[in-house]
Amino acid sequence: MVIVDLQHVTYRYPMTEQSALEDVSLHIEEGEFVAVIGPNGAGKSTLCYTVAGFIPHFFKGELEGTVEVAGVESRQASLEQRVRSVGLVFQNPFNQISGAKYTVFEEIAFGLENLGVSRAEMPARVEQVMALTGITDLAERSPYALSGGQQQRVALASILVMEPKVLVLDEPTSQLDPVGTREVFGVIRNMALRGMTVLMVEHKLEWVAAFADRVIALENGRILAEGTPAEVLTDERLLEHHFGFSRYTLAAREGRKEALWPPDRRLPVTLDEAETGFREGLRRP
Amino acid sequence: MKLLESIKKDFNTMTWVLIPVAIAINVVIGQIVVLLKLPVFLDSIGTMLVAVVCGPWAGALTGTLSNIIWGLAIDPSAFPWFPVALFIGFVTGWCAQGGLFRNTWKVAITGFIVALTAAAVSTPISVYLYGGITASGSSIITAYLLQTGRDLLTSVLSTNFLVEPVDKISTAFLAFAILRGLSARYLARFPRAGNATPEKDDRRALFIGVGIFVVLAILVANLINPAFLWIGLGVAVVVIGVGLLSSRIR
Amino acid sequence: MRERLSFYIQRHSPIHRLNPFTKLTLAFALVLISFFSPWYWTALCLILLVIFPLAIIGRVGREFFAAALRLLVPVTGFIFLMQSLFLPGGETVLFRFWFLRVTLESVARAFLISMRIFGMVSSFILFLLTTHPSELMTDLTRRGLPGTVAYVIISTLQILPQMQAKAQTIIAAQRSRGLAVEGSFIRRVRALVPLVGPLVFGSLVEVEERAIAIEARAFSATGPKTSYREIDDTPFDRTVRWLMVALVVLSLAARFFG
Repeated sequence: MVIVDLQHVTYRYPMTEQSALEDVSLHIEEGEFVAVIGPNGAGKSTLCYTVAGFIPHFFKGELEGTVEVAGVESRQASLEQRVRSVGLVFQNPFNQISGAKYTVFEEIAFGLENLGVSRAEMPARVEQVMALTGITDLAERSPYALSGGQQQRVALASILVMEPKVLVLDEPTSQLDPVGTREVFGVIRNMALRGMTVLMVEHKLEWVAAFADRVIALENGRILAEGTPAEVLTDERLLEHHFGFSRYTLAAREGRKEALWPPDRRLPVTLDEAETGFREGLRRP
Repeated sequence: MKLLESIKKDFNTMTWVLIPVAIAINVVIGQIVVLLKLPVFLDSIGTMLVAVVCGPWAGALTGTLSNIIWGLAIDPSAFPWFPVALFIGFVTGWCAQGGLFRNTWKVAITGFIVALTAAAVSTPISVYLYGGITASGSSIITAYLLQTGRDLLTSVLSTNFLVEPVDKISTAFLAFAILRGLSARYLARFPRAGNATPEKDDRRALFIGVGIFVVLAILVANLINPAFLWIGLGVAVVVIGVGLLSSRIR
Repeated sequence: MRERLSFYIQRHSPIHRLNPFTKLTLAFALVLISFFSPWYWTALCLILLVIFPLAIIGRVGREFFAAALRLLVPVTGFIFLMQSLFLPGGETVLFRFWFLRVTLESVARAFLISMRIFGMVSSFILFLLTTHPSELMTDLTRRGLPGTVAYVIISTLQILPQMQAKAQTIIAAQRSRGLAVEGSFIRRVRALVPLVGPLVFGSLVEVEERAIAIEARAFSATGPKTSYREIDDTPFDRTVRWLMVALVVLSLAARFFG
């Protein structure tokens, strides 16, 4: 079943001349993990805001085409509907703390309070997402007194507790240290394994290759390439348009020139693929 | 229901998130000013920012809550002065609605009108609650005026008219400078962003500048003779009136 | 770094257990009674016989006196001195000095005003020391305060220490680059912009993202909201509140009809 359906979406922010999205069509199946890559200013965040309904509701501006999430056209959707169908988590963990609460537990319950979820239902739901995101032991801490990785997991939990149908992640680890990055990707992997529909913008191509069912390359508000990670992440056009390749792909590409990589083998996108490929290349005479 | 509509218009989510930041700006700049030992307060820059881009009601709320926060977090003696902050926010927003926050001379007029309001509102509080002499340094002027035989009310009023304009005009200029530094695209998210649309300065700037200076001079002269208080206020009304009329005619 | 900024001290005491609204009513009632009551010694009696004992019962005595000493003694002292010296009027001259003429009446009035201000501020200090801002806001929201206003107050209390810490960092950084925060008036004015600029613009730019973040959590949803926290409100609380209202009315009546 298609859960996110964008048809010929073109969008311009208010007070700007250029379109941030230009004729973008995107369909996401329930349970699919779609990754979006692209250089700065390609329209990746704009795409996230569009799927989450912040465009046009929050940003105003001119939106053409149709955006349908879980069967509801986003222009017609109320805030409650939008929040219940799409959860949004973005880069800066600090800015995602509501400021309304003094403890992590209550911070997570904030969304439930706003949705009018009964008080009796809250503890179980909050505890469940805390366990899922591995922050149970932080329940009584102040959300401001946490590390970046912990804060980002609180942000994830605060969204997941509202049980959205789609999770939109806008570079969730770009402001985290390696430890925090691993913690957050751990949670994301968990969610993917549980069958969550995910749209994730991410620069770290190794992680994209590891998670995504499908990759979309955006440039100047348009879709440049779309397909499986193996197809898109080794597409030579990515280099031409300064997206870059992952280190595994780059290494194999160099290796091919030195005849270290089997010429008939496609370039790798993960560590495993790179390892098998190089082993094979080295065994050849 | 027109009033309710106008109140509602001031508040969107951006307003609710801006207000805490504005209050924090009030407090932190207020404290930096104390650190620099400057003879002004500058503790309502944030209030003015909200008032301009979100409107008078949001400005009034920011002022009020700013005082409450100051009381909650730093010194409870701030509580009784909340009406002053409320009016600073409201009057700034009201002036900005009338287009008085778009260029330098208009901002100067806004600052001046806000100063007169603040002086008028704080006078009864300091007279009835504090008996006229508060803990502020300017009370020394009040004490001096009392010794020259003036009654309590005019002494306090004269003091406030003397102290407020410098502070509120500087505050308005700083708020204006901050708005100039923010992009139109960012400001567009606030309910009354149009109030901050910049306009060119013209010759009136000089006239208004001189006018305000004259009024200030007369208000200083008021220290010597109480009659100058009313002359000063009269001249102020004329300066503001002429400024506004001339912009209406254009 | 301080996680929160308020007077609140977490202790277990009968005062802490009172409903926040009851404590707020109590604080306001004490202020109003001390201003309305026609009896000269009311304010002093309230301070000595009500506020001080309550601070002790609330187990915040040490913090209370420290705050009063820091915030109140200098201020009320200044007001008392200035008003005794400069307020005109009165017959009974205590002494003359240069151009000053200090009368018994002006000293008496100065004392009354300083005691009222002392009472007002100290009753609020007592209230703040024993009431967590979050509990106060939860309770007031239940009683009809808009949730958005409660949000503003709580989030300001949390942002403020962050901003102050940032300000400290900026001041230290600019100083190390040779910015003079002391010296002539002009130099100090010039110092203002490099200190204030980064702080203000930095925090304003964050507003948009923070607005998106709370909207993503249904902040401006229009349906009925619920609250996880529940604040006790006992019959004893209600009795205390009505008693306070009665005392305020009584002191008003005494002023106008007594």
